[in-house]
Amino acid sequence: MRVKPYNKAFMVIHGTLLSLVLLTVYGFYSFDYKDVNFVEASIQTLQNVKMMFIEPHFSHFTFQEALYQVAITLGLAFLTTVFGAAIALFLGIFAAQNLTNKAVSAVIKGVVAFIRSVPTVLWVLIFAVAAGLGSVAAVIGMTFHSVGYLIKAYSEAFEEVDKGMIDALKASGAGWWQIIFQAVLPSTATYLVSWTFLRFEINFAVAVAMGAAAGAGGIGFEMFMASGFYYDIQEVGMITYFILIFAILLELVATRVKKNLKTAEV
Amino acid sequence: MTTLLELKNVSKYYSKDIAALSNIHFSIEEGEFVSVIGPSGAGKSTLLRCINRMIEASSGEVVFNGTNIRKLGRKGLRETRTQIGMIFQHYNLVTRLTVIENVLHGRLGYKSAVAGMLGIYSQEEKQQAIRLLEELGLSQHMYKRVDQLSGGQKQRVGIARALIQNPKMLLCDEPIASLDPGSSKIIMDHIKNISASYKITCLVNLHQVDVALKYSDRIIGVNKGEVVFNGKPSELTTDMIHKIYGSETGDLIFEAGERNAG
Ligand SMILES: Nc1ncnc2c1ncn2[C@@H]1O[C@H](COP(=O)(O)OP(=O)(O)O)[C@@H](O)[C@H]1O
Ligand SMILES: [Mg+2]
Repeated sequence: MRVKPYNKAFMVIHGTLLSLVLLTVYGFYSFDYKDVNFVEASIQTLQNVKMMFIEPHFSHFTFQEALYQVAITLGLAFLTTVFGAAIALFLGIFAAQNLTNKAVSAVIKGVVAFIRSVPTVLWVLIFAVAAGLGSVAAVIGMTFHSVGYLIKAYSEAFEEVDKGMIDALKASGAGWWQIIFQAVLPSTATYLVSWTFLRFEINFAVAVAMGAAAGAGGIGFEMFMASGFYYDIQEVGMITYFILIFAILLELVATRVKKNLKTAEV
Repeated sequence: MTTLLELKNVSKYYSKDIAALSNIHFSIEEGEFVSVIGPSGAGKSTLLRCINRMIEASSGEVVFNGTNIRKLGRKGLRETRTQIGMIFQHYNLVTRLTVIENVLHGRLGYKSAVAGMLGIYSQEEKQQAIRLLEELGLSQHMYKRVDQLSGGQKQRVGIARALIQNPKMLLCDEPIASLDPGSSKIIMDHIKNISASYKITCLVNLHQVDVALKYSDRIIGVNKGEVVFNGKPSELTTDMIHKIYGSETGDLIFEAGERNAG
């Protein structure tokens, strides 16, 4: 028995799926396999993976140097998060509908939505046009996207603030900046800190990628060199472990922070 | 006796054709304790908020202490608001901060922008806060965060915050609507005592007729945005209560027999 109607949506979905299947089959058929033996190739790939992760070692630099490079990457993440947070805090206040007029809020939110819709990596590359590939473009680009992300997070936290509380201070003759500092910020502090930390975690991952993609230095750049320049698979494995450890550490803290976000009420 | 507050033909329209307040006209003497009663939606909150311009009235005059509040500029309005304390049904405290920090917020209107932002208070201001908290029986909770207090305690913090303004008048919007009977009595007694001992004029929105009868010097009855009664508690007849609360006789929990029970 037919349950779904043969309507337009049904036709479109099934048509798409069918053409994808046909394309896949045709793709495999039309590949230029040269003389690669499938089984042999698989085995060799697995051997590479084994070498990478079972026998990792440092050859072009030492453990201390690796630590130093991770510190550079962390520094890049930290710097861009702090810059982003400072700018976003200021603009976030003006983006919150309950704190400013609707027009200002709408303009800031519109611009921010645009900034966020372009990935961080693209922003870095865009700024690289002016600043050249390197740490400067990475800092500016990453800060830019962090500002967009944090303005959204902060302004939403501000908008959750109890209106009655703001009214009470207004009714006692308190001024706008006084209300921001004495009521709005204290009420949202846990949220602001949590969101900022989450952004730091994101920025760490981006900073690793930027090291390679934009030549911003740090552990990401070392990884790029080890794989693309020295073809040292074992070193790539070692660096991967290194980044993994730091990412897990950050993730552990971030999980705590997220729990904090959920239980804290404005 | 001198008149502290006078409303002249105050109207408020939220939308074009429905008047939340229409031609409200009354005055309040210095030191008077006046209750505003009426069913919910009658316009009690709107009335109170039009006085300190938390809501802008559509027309009319609000004369407080000789000045027409509706004509004041931004600075003048802030100065006048420091003279008028406000107490709310939901306390409206900054719950993440301590009791004493919340009380000191009542001083913000008197401070420079920067001192207020950073929360820098003088020694006298701190001492006054401590004195008020002692008076309201909260001295051992001074450094607790507000979210650890009970409803009754929170409302007392709200009262302290209003009193530290050294106001001429208190506007109380249903101060006991969220409290149990025991705490309600404590809060009403405090407000009444304050009014008497500091000679502060009080305008209190209430929805309990028996409470209004017990504490007020005068009662103003509001229905559908109009003042339908303005007189002494002894003049408030059962018929009048029904007129204030609408025509459905018998729907009221409160009946005339309870009037002398308070
Ligand atoms: N911000 C507002 N916008 C539109 N209508 C409102 C607003 N506030 C109150 N009202 C309306 O005005 C009338 C009076 O409300 P209110 O003053 O809160 O009454 P009360 O405090 O006596 O319960 C009600 O009909 C209410 O729906
Ligand atoms: Mg009300």
